[in-house]
Amino acid sequence: MASPQHHPRRHLFDLNDTAANTNHHTPTKKPKLSSLSAAELCSEFSHHDPAVARINNGSFGSCPATVIAAQRRWQLRFLQQPDDFYFNVLQPSILRSRTLIKDLINADHVDEVSIVDNATTAAAIVLQQTAWAFAEGRFNKGDATVMLHYAYGAVKKSVQAYVSRAGGRVIEVQLPFPVRSNDEIVREFRKALEQGKSDGHKVRLAVIDHITSMPSVVIPVKELVKICREEGVDKVFVDAAHAIGCTEVDMKEIGADFYTSNLHKWFFCPPAVAFLYCRKSDETLDLHHPVVSHEYGNGLAIESGWIGTRDYSAQLVVPEVVEFVNRFEGGIEGIKKRNHEKVVEMGEMLVKAWGTNLGSPPEMCSSMVMVGLPTCLGISSDSDALKLRTHLRDCFGIEVPIYYRAPKDGEVDPITGYARISHQVYNIIDDYYKFRDAVNKLVNDGITWAALSD
Amino acid sequence: MDEVPRANGESNDHSNPSKKPKISSSLSLITQLQIQQEFAHHQDGVARINNGSFGSCPASILAAQRRWQLQFLRQPDSFFFNYLQKSILQSRTIIKNLINAHHAEEVSLVDNATTAAAIVLQHIGWGFAEGQFHKGDAVVMLHCAFQAVKKSIQAYVTRAGGSVIQVELPFPVRSKDQIIAEFQRALVIGKANGRKVRLAIIDHITSMPSLIIPVRELVCICREEGVDQVFVDAAHAVGSVHVDVQEIGADFYVSNLHKWFFCPPSVAFLYCRKSPLSLNLHHPVVSHEYGNGLAVESSWIGTRDYSSQLVVPEVLDFINRFEGGIDGISKRNHDAVVDMGEMLAKAWGTVLGSPPDMCPSMAMVGLPASFGISSDDDALKFRTHLRDHFQVEVPIHHQAPKDSKVGSRNGNNCITAYARISHQVYNKVDDYIKFREAINQLVHDGFTCKVLSQK
Repeated sequence: MASPQHHPRRHLFDLNDTAANTNHHTPTKKPKLSSLSAAELCSEFSHHDPAVARINNGSFGSCPATVIAAQRRWQLRFLQQPDDFYFNVLQPSILRSRTLIKDLINADHVDEVSIVDNATTAAAIVLQQTAWAFAEGRFNKGDATVMLHYAYGAVKKSVQAYVSRAGGRVIEVQLPFPVRSNDEIVREFRKALEQGKSDGHKVRLAVIDHITSMPSVVIPVKELVKICREEGVDKVFVDAAHAIGCTEVDMKEIGADFYTSNLHKWFFCPPAVAFLYCRKSDETLDLHHPVVSHEYGNGLAIESGWIGTRDYSAQLVVPEVVEFVNRFEGGIEGIKKRNHEKVVEMGEMLVKAWGTNLGSPPEMCSSMVMVGLPTCLGISSDSDALKLRTHLRDCFGIEVPIYYRAPKDGEVDPITGYARISHQVYNIIDDYYKFRDAVNKLVNDGITWAALSD
Repeated sequence: MDEVPRANGESNDHSNPSKKPKISSSLSLITQLQIQQEFAHHQDGVARINNGSFGSCPASILAAQRRWQLQFLRQPDSFFFNYLQKSILQSRTIIKNLINAHHAEEVSLVDNATTAAAIVLQHIGWGFAEGQFHKGDAVVMLHCAFQAVKKSIQAYVTRAGGSVIQVELPFPVRSKDQIIAEFQRALVIGKANGRKVRLAIIDHITSMPSLIIPVRELVCICREEGVDQVFVDAAHAVGSVHVDVQEIGADFYVSNLHKWFFCPPSVAFLYCRKSPLSLNLHHPVVSHEYGNGLAVESSWIGTRDYSSQLVVPEVLDFINRFEGGIDGISKRNHDAVVDMGEMLAKAWGTVLGSPPDMCPSMAMVGLPASFGISSDDDALKFRTHLRDHFQVEVPIHHQAPKDSKVGSRNGNNCITAYARISHQVYNKVDDYIKFREAINQLVHDGFTCKVLSQK
């Protein structure tokens, strides 16, 4: 295939037939489509399995029917005439999505916004750069990377694959859970930085979750980024896989060097699409997409816009998603607020019913909450937690991830199992009642995990 | 492994796909009308003679893909825990049988050949960074390697301190012996001064200009000349030439399945021959399965749509509705594209860029010298012109004439551009006639590329 030495870029406004009649010049100013009625909302998510109490939006997200339909139109457009799509349509459309995201996250330049598959890919991009820095001698063996103990498993492996392998030292911030306040987190973080700087080493990178996955807690990233600057940490990478659509996402406020969030978790995009924000700075960041293609060397955003033939349609529906979101009262802000309030309310309902507690105060919860499970269930390992999750799915039609929290010395009858409940626009109160009743039944039946065979 | 309940409710037994009769008793041979229906989503009015770039996917496979996508969206957790890995393994097993690999763990599914190249080359990059390779150790590639692969070599090999030996292949070419001789020569020269060659990257079918490369012979030469490892970039191969990884004997072999094997965009396999050296290959997008072998790593690289990897069983069903299955399809494509290529060359007074036996399902057809296509830029503009003004989709290759004198007497040496025509099951003779007429029209109008530069 011919190499794309030049891309005759059609004007953005030519792409009229890709979505329902929409004017994409100024999406925020256009007259709103009518608000979604309850029936329409139901219909948007009617492809969800109706037999399942789906209280785990956090893991795989969700996508409304309107957006899926838009995605299909994009897919079809490529299939109809792929060469024309490649030369004339793809890049302007990706740029349009990136521009919308830039506005959403308050970034200064669209160059700072790259679109990738998911936060896992973004982590690989940032960490591969770190590996090169070690390999090329800009970092010294033993220089440190600091990350949270609760960092996502895939990110930990990525740190192992790129940082440890290249000679970097990894320091984990031991965060308490349950947690009572931001101060507890800040304290542990400072300790970890001190460790990193010992023996004259530098802390080259801090990897900080905006919202941890398991257990799920909102981390005071703005404060931690400030501390990193004070303590001379080279670069800060915020892994905000859950953040957009779930908590405040303002690049200038947070001040990190790199920030990634998935759009398919809480922002209604189809699987899978995420953005990686890289703050413009004087030094050349030299980040590259690990799948190297024709655009190598033209900047990460451009490189990411073509990584070989594949289906880019999930990246192209951002305009349609923005439209969908704006049909809700208060747009994404309204959705976030209501999700948060609802999930806290449901969490408190559950802990009251079970006699347990939440894993963190409401202000440290996003659209997810960690709800303590009755201790008599006897969850005593990660494997028990997974078994319970499977049992809830198979026998009760409830989808909810379970976290095992190892007891600490001296604790008396501590809660060792927490359910991470989510609330998204499609959830109804019955979903949580179903969960409440299922756990009550398990307690009444005296089920413990020692009793269940593998 | 338990039989996977099929997404669409059917239960087909795919445990022995290679033993399945070519024409399934439950499906009759596909008719011409059905073929046209399967590709009815292709844009009307376009002579789509470029299957080589982006491939094609029949409607029934797209429908199967949608069923997989919906299954995930319906209950993603259950899909992740109960279906995804099993289904990927099923696809990998079918491919293993197709390419005559020994073990399913040698077969990983990735997005495309570009990704596979990154996997192999990152591995080489670590070799330099970790001191197993020394600065100056070399990687060999063909001069006409796909540009994305060249950039990948730059990103992972050159950057890490490796040097690159380029093998110039002749084009137009008369026989595979020319290629073998040239490769041998370049490799020996490249190794001068005791340079160690750590990796040879050889295309099975080059992209532009498109030729079948005698990979088996070149792999043998590599072994004789002490090349550590051989990576065959066979992006176009599966579905257009016979692929037997035992025969070819390479360490790594990648082919796209969305080009000539009717899969949706996009899916490719990377074959890694079991050996101590292959243990440490990793997918660059590191996730939970890191360290569990490339095939397992590649099956989960974060939340995304894996559906194009899951329809391989359905694709096999589709292919087996054709006389002779995939071998029948590729033979007929080859015969047709050579036929059409010769028809065009005759009509225009030009030649093919290679003999028919070096053409896969694509052929390089010389364009009239009068067009004066004299750069890559001209070639791209000309391609755009054909698309916009004649609704013909065909990539154009610029080939600098060997003889430096412009306008030399031998007609063959005047050809500076070749069209790479493809033939896939949906093509018709009219597609090529349309192209023939477009060129004739342009010749008649005294067209030259200078006209395009004035735009």
